[in-house]
Amino acid sequence: MRTEERQRTPVFVRKVRRFWWLDTVPFRRFVLRELTSVFVAVYSVILLLFLLALSRGREAYEGFLRWLDLPGIVVLHVVILAAVLYHTVTSIQLASQIQEVRLGGKVLPRTFLAAGLAAGWVVASAVVAYLHVWR
Amino acid sequence: MAKSTRPARAEPFFWLLFTAGGGVSAFLFPAHIVILGIAWAAGWLPDDALSYDRIVGLVQNPLTKLYLFVLVVLPLFHAAHRIRYGIRHELRVEENKHVVASACYGAAFVGTALTASILLRI
Repeated sequence: MRTEERQRTPVFVRKVRRFWWLDTVPFRRFVLRELTSVFVAVYSVILLLFLLALSRGREAYEGFLRWLDLPGIVVLHVVILAAVLYHTVTSIQLASQIQEVRLGGKVLPRTFLAAGLAAGWVVASAVVAYLHVWR
Repeated sequence: MAKSTRPARAEPFFWLLFTAGGGVSAFLFPAHIVILGIAWAAGWLPDDALSYDRIVGLVQNPLTKLYLFVLVVLPLFHAAHRIRYGIRHELRVEENKHVVASACYGAAFVGTALTASILLRI
């Protein structure tokens, strides 16, 4: 019944330009943020290759470390880091806008929330670095 | 038309994985990228920091394995979800929606199985 009705009624479908996301700066920033997920996927695969090499024994693992030493691979990691940091910063901004936190009946200012999340990120990174490198 | 009005029952599940993976990659990836990808090659780490014996010892701990599983798998689902909708909305490929979704999440599931099997062999 409903689908028949839909077919008979003219429906307004807004025409969207193919590269609509190039039109304004906020759209471009939005797409840049979406694009960071590709770099996230690439880094997940790199971590997977690291674990694969580790599971194959000493020689494979040391081969992987030599691969990490290649200048092109270091440049790739700098690019991945830039993309992931954009993802991190925008995620913290976004989370502090979405989530309202009340303490003792008062709404916590958004900047406090963003600062708290950023501090949590710094602490998490320090814990990872400590366990990964120094412990 | 009738098909597209079907409720998307799997959507909340994938959205949850997407958000969790977004958080994991935002908070934990930068440290790993700096350590393995930049600091090691630059020589900023102690010489034995990434030695085979040390890293194997670290990864053989079940808690480390659990951490690494979460670290690798959740961001895969994050990316799968974003790429799925990026293909539809930014690349404007609106046909074969189910094929695109299956390919994206399918790749993430394959990555999940690989991660689990590799971690169990270390």
